[in-house]
Parts: sequence; structure tokens; C-alpha cells
Amino acid sequence: MELSEYVQKGFQMLADPGSFDSNAFTLLLRAAFQSLLDAQADEAVLDHPDLKHIDPVVLKHCHTAAATYILEAGKQRADKSTLSTYLEDCKFDRERIELFCTEYQNNKNTLEILLGSIGRSLPHITDVSWRLEYQIKTNQLHKMYRPAYLVTLNVENTDSRSHPEISFSCNMEQLQFAPIGQSKIKNMSLKISSLLSEVELNFQTGFSNIFK
Amino acid sequence: MLLDLSEEHKEHLAFLPQVDSTVVAEFGRIAVEFLRRGSNPKVYEGAARKLSVSSDTVQHGVEGLTYLLTESSKLMISELDFQDSVFVLGFSEELNKLLLQLYLDNRKEIRTILSELSPDLPSYHSLEWRLDVQLASRSLRQQIKPSVTIKLHLNQNGDHNTKVLQTDPATLLHLVQQLEQALEEMKTNHCRRVVRNIK
Repeated sequence: MELSEYVQKGFQMLADPGSFDSNAFTLLLRAAFQSLLDAQADEAVLDHPDLKHIDPVVLKHCHTAAATYILEAGKQRADKSTLSTYLEDCKFDRERIELFCTEYQNNKNTLEILLGSIGRSLPHITDVSWRLEYQIKTNQLHKMYRPAYLVTLNVENTDSRSHPEISFSCNMEQLQFAPIGQSKIKNMSLKISSLLSEVELNFQTGFSNIFK
Repeated sequence: MLLDLSEEHKEHLAFLPQVDSTVVAEFGRIAVEFLRRGSNPKVYEGAARKLSVSSDTVQHGVEGLTYLLTESSKLMISELDFQDSVFVLGFSEELNKLLLQLYLDNRKEIRTILSELSPDLPSYHSLEWRLDVQLASRSLRQQIKPSVTIKLHLNQNGDHNTKVLQTDPATLLHLVQQLEQALEEMKTNHCRRVVRNIK
């Protein structure tokens, strides 16, 4: 993992028991995770009485460094040994490394979900509503007597957070359009889950070998 | 139900007995063609010259015939009702038969054309799909995120519209379940009763 000098300096300060005692270290670490993962978090996350004695400039620097590191680690899906190596280089003692890794492990899933949700994608279908009607007549045509469906797809846009809807009408034959019926989709889901578990096992070695 | 023909309409149609039945059949063909594609005044002039009448007369004849056919098709009147409606015009037996045949032959197509005039919602045309797996993004590496990409083709007022959308397999399963329920509805007693009784 490539990290800037700024981050490195911040961590070196964080490693120093003179600047941060055990309690302060833990608090700052938790604050860093909280800022990233808690939607309600704000600047007050550093307003703890046990952190008051530390120079606010230093506090901010270390907080930023920790947050940057956590994001980079999450992005690269760093494992424990990668994390430990970097922290050792920053002169963290054993105890602090353990603490960091434990905190990281606890928050890993939330972090990955957050990172995975960032980015652009096509409008995403979230739900469908339908209406069945029996058409009797219009002003142009009487005695129609045929069923018709109105289907509305609820769609979510990742960036604009807008929720447009797509509506269209169709008849019975067209509704049987899903060239993929329910059983085929269930099979597809099963195949994907087994593929997922298989690939997960090979991921670390497999992918890195491909991209060497 | 009988057709209510106005005096003006009857006047226009009065031209028809004055020409050959082949000409009336031709007018019928022109009328349906105009319903399909829109009217073309040049055709009137050509016919007018051949028949030695004014093009206005030809136009009125064709338009009268068109209106007769569209009104009958719209109301879906029975053979008997059509014959009775036309009877008041005092045409010959042969001409009445010809008009009835014209109505019956073209009714289905005319109704299809008329149905395109109703308030239009986008209607389904077709659908293409593709299964993808996202492997990484700028913010997160080493992912396995399956998704289904769908290209939905819709028609509205003659315009073709496509929408590209995405969903995950779990939501897709939910969508299919919902739509299968929608289809099942048509088979329920309630819907069957409605369809049977409203005719």
C-alpha cells in the first residue's frame, strides 16, 4: 500500500506513548472509524475530555492519517499481515498493532459495504408494481374487451439519488416475456453462490497471479 | 345499433351508385389505404379524370365511404345492423352486398388502426438481458458483485425508446415472482367472471 508522508508522520505521532497514552490512542482510533462509518458523525467526534490535553493540530493530523489509512486498507482489502507490516514500520508497539487490527476487523464489513456502494452504475431496479385492467372502450374504439397490464418499475439512481419510475403497458403474452422463468433464476442464483464461495478461496492468490 | 348518417354524409355517398361496382371496390381499397398511410389528394385527381367528374365529388365519395367503415368498425356493429343502416341510402342489392363485404373484410384492420389513437402509455416492445459480475471499482478492489443488465425496448406514439437498467439476482427473482402473480390473477374466478360477462 502506498501512503503519503503526511500519513506516515501522523502514524509516527500516534505510535508515540508520550503524545498518545493508551486511552487516547484507543479513543482516536475509534473516532477515526466512527467518522468514516457512522452517518451521523461530525467534528464533535474528537471532543472527548480525555483528548483535550493533546494539541488540536496534532489531533487532527493523526485523525486524518488514521482515516486515510483505514480507507486505503479497505480499498485494497488488506489482510492482517499487510496492516501489521505498515504499522511496525511506523514504530507501533505490539499492543497498539493488535488493537488496530482488532478494531479494523470489527469494522471491516461495514467499511467494505460503504466503499462498494461508492461509484456510478446504471439505474437500479428496486421494485415492481403492476395493475391489471379490462379495457372496455375508448372514444375511438368501442367493445374492446381485452385485459391489459400496466407495469411500473421503481428505479434508483446512485448519483442523483432520484427515484424515477418507468411505466409501460403490455398484454398477457408479453408479460410472459421473462425469457428467464422463476426456476431458471433460482438455478442461476445457486450457481452464482457456489461460484462465489469457490472464487473467494482462490481470490488472494488467483487474482494477484493474473495481474502480476 | 344502427348508424346515424347525417344528410351531408348521405349526399356524399350518393355518388357511389352512379359508378361501376369495380370502382366502388377501388374506392374502398383507397379508403383503407388512406386510413393506413394518410390521404393523398393526387389519387382523387387521377380518378376524377377517368370518371369525368370533379375531384371534389371523388373526394367526398371516398371520405363518405371511409367514415362509414370507421364508424361501423368503431362500434363493432353486427352484419344485420350494418345492412339496415345502409338500407336507408336506397342503394341496389349488389351495392349493399359490396359495402357489407368491404366492412367485414377490413373491420379488424381498421380497429387496429383506431386502437392506436387512444391515449398512449409507453408500451412494451422487447427486452434484452445480460449477466455481469463486477470485479472491482475505483473505491473497492477484489469484488464479486453479480448483476443483471437489462435493455428495455418501449414504443410510444410510434417512437422507439430504450432504457438500460440494472438489477441484482435477488431483486430479479422478486420481480419475476411479482409478475408471475400478476399473470396468475387473470386465471382467478373473479377475472374469469368479468371477462365472461362483459361482452
